[in-house]
Amino acid sequence: MAVDSKVKEVTETRTDFNNKEAEEVLISFDEDLEITGDEVEIATKEELKEMPVIMSIENLNKEYSKGKSVLKDVNFEIKQGELLSIIGPSGAGKSTLLRSINRMIEPTSGKITFDKQNITNVKGRDLRNMRTNIGMIFQHYNLVDRLSVFENVMHGTLGYKNSLQGIFSLYTESEKEEAIDIITELGIEDHIYKRCDELSGGQKQRVGIARALVQKPKIILCDEPIASLDPSSSRVIMEHLRKICSEKGITVIVNLHQVDVAKNYSDRIIGLNSGEIVFNGHPTEINKEVIQAVYGTDFDDLIME
Amino acid sequence: MTAVVEHNKNGGIKVSKPNRGQRVLKGLLIGSAIFTVIGFFLMDYTGLDLTHAIPMTIDNLGQMFLSPSLNNTTWPSALWQVAITLSLAFLATILGAVISLFLAFGTAVNLSKPWISNTIKAFITVVRAVPTVLWVLIFAIAAGLGAVAAVIGMIFHSIAYLVKAYSEAFEEVDQGKIEALRATGSSYPHILFQVVVPQTKSFLISWTFLRFEINFGVAVAMGAAAGAGGIGYELFMASTFYYDMQEVGAITLIILVVAIILELIANRLKMAA
Repeated sequence: MAVDSKVKEVTETRTDFNNKEAEEVLISFDEDLEITGDEVEIATKEELKEMPVIMSIENLNKEYSKGKSVLKDVNFEIKQGELLSIIGPSGAGKSTLLRSINRMIEPTSGKITFDKQNITNVKGRDLRNMRTNIGMIFQHYNLVDRLSVFENVMHGTLGYKNSLQGIFSLYTESEKEEAIDIITELGIEDHIYKRCDELSGGQKQRVGIARALVQKPKIILCDEPIASLDPSSSRVIMEHLRKICSEKGITVIVNLHQVDVAKNYSDRIIGLNSGEIVFNGHPTEINKEVIQAVYGTDFDDLIME
Repeated sequence: MTAVVEHNKNGGIKVSKPNRGQRVLKGLLIGSAIFTVIGFFLMDYTGLDLTHAIPMTIDNLGQMFLSPSLNNTTWPSALWQVAITLSLAFLATILGAVISLFLAFGTAVNLSKPWISNTIKAFITVVRAVPTVLWVLIFAIAAGLGAVAAVIGMIFHSIAYLVKAYSEAFEEVDQGKIEALRATGSSYPHILFQVVVPQTKSFLISWTFLRFEINFGVAVAMGAAAGAGGIGYELFMASTFYYDMQEVGAITLIILVVAIILELIANRLKMAA
């Protein structure tokens, strides 16, 4: 009896100790986190219906070589202020679709209307103007890592500048102040003069978000923003994207590999398979049949984080 | 023993089976060895006494490098001439570097169109095929033999060298970073000066300085060969006009010291960049 209670006591202290250690680890992990895990609020189906359309994509086709279609007759609308996730297996055409939106990739045929303007064939200065309205975030961050965080964020204003202003980095004081506000909002103000190669992955991605926000965009495109990040940084990035969408009313379009992340954070999900839209609906409508159609496997066969 | 194994004449097993290229190379090596030996027998050795010649050569070298002194020129004048040579090299490098930077933007395949890139590459190949001295002599027709022709000639080879070095550095720049700036609505010059140049700055500096060191050596030679002045001309005068071994040695040592100092500065710059 006495021995038993002794054993119990020892195990209890050990569990206590373990918990404490785990907590400490968590805290040290969380030092960087500005946002704590509040329940994410996503738009309901009815709210989604009422949102105005900001971009519509009609009959979009893309062939890299003759006869090999990457996108087949893609049609959908993007609502103003929604967070739209695009899911699908590798090679389904998610990246191509995203890059067609800001014409980084020229579609073979189709029509893209943005802000009531047909942008399918705009060129030169008009194309640059259109791109200033669409920010972009990448899986590999794509920062100029020999420049400072501030310099990288200021690159977001280059779309508004002429050649000489851009070459000699002539930014106005008000542009700099706005950039500093955005950097502070994203919680990377301590690193503002550090070179980007000194930052961690999560911090780099926040610089990427800041660069996109400085453009004062109406839409932000995110190409696998969390694919190279650990789960805790991934969460920070997704929560920032959600916040940008809900608070600033900026439309966010995200390519994702993680179905559960898409379900948690997005207002709407588009499922892409072999260049065709096989699902377009509210996250609550995702079920086994949808997963089967998008990935060609059972829901249980997917890795869930 | 299986049939796949081949034997040599003595019945031993062959370890390797040379292909056509290796056989040609072997033939070439043997051929050149034979011609070298024949060449020695065919040379004109009249009046050459090796027992006398070798100690004389050693004596000459000893005079040059062990007791160097400036007899026909003074220290301030020699240093001034070094400064002239350095400025020839500097001028050729800096002008060449600026021109090369823009040509390299056109040459790098990731920043340019194939036909522009190939045109510049063809031009560079022609420039490289003609020796520096020939370029200097070509421009001497217009500019006269002297510093101007020498600098223009040196610029040509600097460009040939630097465009290749720069454009290869530019081609290493991650395509994603360029894509990111294009997506912000940046124009082509923005991308060049906000991504490509900052990202390759340390390469640009170290390649340019290496070319400066090479140009210093070329400028010494041009001083003598093209009358460009500077320490090279002094060296030429000391050796062929005054026939002064000690002065040749002194000037050679001065050039050596300057070259070493340049090397040290280059290392410092590379560290800093």
